[in-house]
Formats: sequence, structure tokens, C-alpha cells
Amino acid sequence: MKTLLASLALAAVAASPALAQPDGRQLFADNCSACHQPTGKGIAGAFPALDGDRFVTGDPGAVAHTVLYGRGGMPSFKDQLSDEQIAAILTYVRSAWSNKAGPETPQAVDAARAGPAASAHAQLQAH
Amino acid sequence: MDSGFSGGGLTRRRFFDSLAAIGGLSLAMAGMDALGFGFASAKAAPPTLDGDKGKGVRVAILGAGVAGMTAAYELTKAGYQCQVLEARPFAGGRCQTARKGFADTDLLGHSQVCDFDEGHYINIGPWRIPYHHRSTLHYTKLFGVPLEIMVNDNDAAYVYFQEGSGPLAGKPVRKGEIAADTRGHAAELLAKAARKGDLDLPMTAEDRDLFVAYLVNEGYLSPKDLAYAGTDGRGWAVHPGAGLDPGPGKPSAPYALHDLLTSKAWQVLNSVTDYDQQRTMFQPVGGMDQIARGFERNVGHMIRYETTVKKVSQTGKGVTIAFVDRLGDAGEIEADYCLCTIPLAVLKTIDLQVSRPFKAAIGQVAYTPVNKIGLQMKRRFWEEDHFIYGGHVYNDIPGVRTISLPSYGWQGQKGVILGYYAFYGEAAMVSAKSPADRAAFAVAAGQRVFPEYAESFETSFSKSWHLDPHNLGGWADWTDETRKAAYPVLLEPDGRLYLAGEHLSYIGGWQAAGIESAWQQIAKLHARVQQA
Repeated sequence: MKTLLASLALAAVAASPALAQPDGRQLFADNCSACHQPTGKGIAGAFPALDGDRFVTGDPGAVAHTVLYGRGGMPSFKDQLSDEQIAAILTYVRSAWSNKAGPETPQAVDAARAGPAASAHAQLQAH
Repeated sequence: MDSGFSGGGLTRRRFFDSLAAIGGLSLAMAGMDALGFGFASAKAAPPTLDGDKGKGVRVAILGAGVAGMTAAYELTKAGYQCQVLEARPFAGGRCQTARKGFADTDLLGHSQVCDFDEGHYINIGPWRIPYHHRSTLHYTKLFGVPLEIMVNDNDAAYVYFQEGSGPLAGKPVRKGEIAADTRGHAAELLAKAARKGDLDLPMTAEDRDLFVAYLVNEGYLSPKDLAYAGTDGRGWAVHPGAGLDPGPGKPSAPYALHDLLTSKAWQVLNSVTDYDQQRTMFQPVGGMDQIARGFERNVGHMIRYETTVKKVSQTGKGVTIAFVDRLGDAGEIEADYCLCTIPLAVLKTIDLQVSRPFKAAIGQVAYTPVNKIGLQMKRRFWEEDHFIYGGHVYNDIPGVRTISLPSYGWQGQKGVILGYYAFYGEAAMVSAKSPADRAAFAVAAGQRVFPEYAESFETSFSKSWHLDPHNLGGWADWTDETRKAAYPVLLEPDGRLYLAGEHLSYIGGWQAAGIESAWQQIAKLHARVQQA
């Protein structure tokens, strides 16, 4: 039980918003890696690869819009992540693995936030 | 008036908007359902498959979930020869219950074997059967699957909203208190304004008096001064009882309207008035998979387990299904028709010989990331210490949202709590964690509500449906665009291939959807066979 309580305390520390510089790699691991995989290779046919993907390394506004509003099976992260966090994640993704694109700025994410929202998902429904 | 309702009188529209915010409109709409608008899932009984031309017609059914097994059961009764291919080693599809020994490995390679105590379980897939899902209830009755009440609304259960502000934010408050006080205060404001003529109500004087009478009744107001001073429906400070002490007991004091509003806890009040969530709610005794077992008792002999479909090809005369079996050996079956219930997210990865528009439509449909976790507690502290028997602790903790207390094993020693039930990005986030970290996350969340949570936790079993290779999501997530562009295409057969499943319905995610979609598609198939 001690172990569990210790890990609870750790969780509380991790949740505190004290970090000045969001860690893109860690944020990617926390929010994206379940589907796109830590390797960025995704799952064939199910979750797209980010490594070597031309969309991901292309227009920063379009990529930010996808993270904010989702696309296909990808959920929206606009309420969950700040502009700074999304910028950190995308900066990491655009330069990780074999990708060699420039950084994503919080300003670009903010601009994409103001852009046209993708079609709304059907209202969240519990079953 | 110094309330949120001030501002030069209420229009009718604003009045209803305000009521909607406290759940009043949902109640009104619930009343509409009772009057016969859209009552019950559309179909209550399987189609009658008349005529004898189905005899001997071979149908390959892909997927042994409730849709596939419904089709196998009904088609077989009409003389068809069915074979069901199922990728998993068991039937039921998403109708799964985790109990001792239940094993699961997700796409990230996280393997879990459930080690709950005997008799304890969590329904990691569907967990509720609304009383109006007559299709599901048709089969539970037919197959003798015993049901019990699932407590889907509990006034004693806490709500926990941390995003609000004020003294009620970030602390567990009983739902009945929130409900009684929000309704009481709102009724008081409306009643007073209506009596004074402040409301620009499209009503006769007589109706206005009745409206005030309704508000007095609805909000437990004093008929004399229309004040809300609490009601016993919110519970007691001291419960009434025997003799003089406690004797008449002591009423509890209502929360202030301002504190209720800023807490945002009122957001939960309309959740269980949704048509899908209304009482009476059922669950099978012993776990939802008893439904799967009921079907399996009847169609199990037609199922080839651990058989993964690789390719569906067809000619004008029949279909060929190529598969890989449990030993990794390739095989084929031939049939006259194919009914495919494989979720579209998985189907799009399978080699299908279908038209280009059909293939494109399959690829357009997204699936929802969905997480659940069961937490075995060594003591039923929610019952023993908090007097909460079943129901949900709705909350705004991202990744958690719903904590649910078990509707089985009342007053027993242990119990399994649903520790989170969340969707979309929040689900993706939590699912990236290891099973142990998911449990730690869920326990830390529950600890905010119940001080006994962490010390009572024993073991967990978590499920992320988007990480299940046989589903890749909880349910089809239709948008206005995909409903328009893809849905009608997928409802029609492509050659000899018919699709069925929860995805082909407007009640997606429910077992009733899978059953009724199967009924609809086999009726179409049968009509074609009769005409041939």
C-alpha cells in the first residue's frame, strides 16, 4: 500500500502545472503514443504513421488544426492541451525519427485554433 | 431581482433555455417520450423469414458478436446454412466481462489477466440495457438470461466538479442535494417573478396561476411566500427516528443558489434523464457476457474461433472468404452470401473485393477511443461508510468522468468499481499508460471523492477499445458528413456482401443496435433469396 500511496503522490506532483517549458517528447508519450506508437510508426491501417509523413512535416497550420479538431478517427485535443503544449508536441513530432521539419510555434497553434472547426462529432454519448 | 434571471423580464425562449439548464426541459422531453414520440428501439422482434427458398443457402457470417450471432440464429431457423468466423477465442464481440482468468493483450503489448476474486467482475464493454431496448430484451428472455436492476441513477451518489468555483467546487456533494436545491431555487425565482407579472409569459391569468402552482409543487416552495427553504428530499441534518431523540430529526439547510451555479455541478442533472439512460435499467446477473453465452448456447456449433478473415472475394454466384486459423494455417470457405459484422475500422484493413465507393465509404468512418477500468475494492466502503448503493459518481476529472458503483453483490465484502469511463483524447491519453499506471491514475482520481479509495484498492483490469486489434475503437463515430456520404452506401449490399453491426444504426454502441441491424440486413438478404 505504501508503494501505491507514493505513486499517488508522484501523480499529484506530475499534475502540477509548474513546468515552464512543456516537454514535447513526454507530452507525445502521454497523449499520442497509444495510437501513433512511441516509434511514430503507427499501426498499419488503423493509426497513421507520423514518421516520414509529408502531412506531418508540411504546413504547420494544417498539422496544428488536425491536433486541435481531430481528423477521421483522431479525437480533438483542443480542450485538453494548451497552445504551448501542442506546439511542443508538434515540434517534437516534426523533428523526431526521420522527420526534419522546422518547429511549431504556439502562435501557429493559436492561429489554427481560430480557423474553421472541423465537423463536430456526434454529441458524446455514453452507453 | 439579483439573480441570473434578471434583465428586463424573461422571454419564453430564455425561460425554456433557463429551465433546460437545470434539467427541466429534459424532464419535459421525457414526458414527450412517454406520450409516444419515438418510444422504444425501432424493432421489438426479429423479422419473419417466410418461404422455403432459404433452405440450404450458405451464408458466411464474419464476426461472432451479438450482430453475427443474431443473424446466425435467425437465418438457421429459416433453413439457411450458416458458418461464423470469429477472430477471438470466444464469442460476444464487445459483449465482454472481465472476471478471474479473463485475458487481454492490447496493441501496445500490454497483457493482463484478470485476478478479481471469484464472483466479482467488470463489464468492460456494454454494461446497461435500457428497458426500451426490446430487441436485446427479446433475446435475454428467449435464452433465459436472468436480469437484475442496474442502478443508473442514485440521489445519494456524489457528484464531484473541480472546474467550478465556490464552496461546492472540488468536493463530493450528493446529487440529491444538488437536484433539490437547484430546482428549488430556480422554482422560487420563477414563481415570484411570475406572480409579480415580471415574466413576459404567453399565458392567460389562469394558466399563470397554474404555472405558479406547478413551481410550488416542483420546487417544494412555501405556498405562502413562494420561498425555497430546503426539502427533506435533499436529506436530513439529523435523520428523524424514534422517541424524542432524534424524534422529528433536524432538516438540512439548502446550499445557496450562487454556490450551486458556480460549482457547475448542475451539469449532471440532465444526464440520467436522457432517453437512453432512464430507469428502468437492467444488467444480466453475473455479467453482460451472459448474453453472449446465451447466444453461444444456440449458435456456438457454427462458430470457428480464432479464425481471422484475410480476404473477401466474390463472383456473381458466390463469395469466398480467405482466413488464417489458430495454427496460422490459411484456409477458405465458400458461401452464397456473406454477412460481415466486423467493425469498419478493422474491415478497412481487410482485402475486400467490393466496389470503389463501398470501399471508400468503409474508410470514411471513424471509431471512438473508449476506456474503462475495473477496480476491485477489499471493502464496500461506498455502502458501509457513505450509504451509496449503486449509481454513478459523475465528475469532471479528465480521463475519468464516470465512476460507477456496482449493482451486484449488495452488502457483500468486496466489490468492483468502474474507475473511469472516458472517450476521445482523454481516453487516448490514459491508454498510453501501463495497466499499473492506469490503475494508479484511476485510484488517485477516486481518492478525491472517497477517502477510503486508495487504502481499499486491491487489483484492476483495464480496457482501451481503440487498442483492441479486433475493434480499434468503442463504436462508430458518425458525423453529419459521414452519415450523408458513407452510411447509405454501407446499408446496401455490395454484390453478395452485406454489412451489419452497431455501426449501421442510429443507436450506435448499444447491443440493441447490433441486433436490430442484423435483423434488418437478414430481412433484405432473405427477400432477395425469395425473389431469386
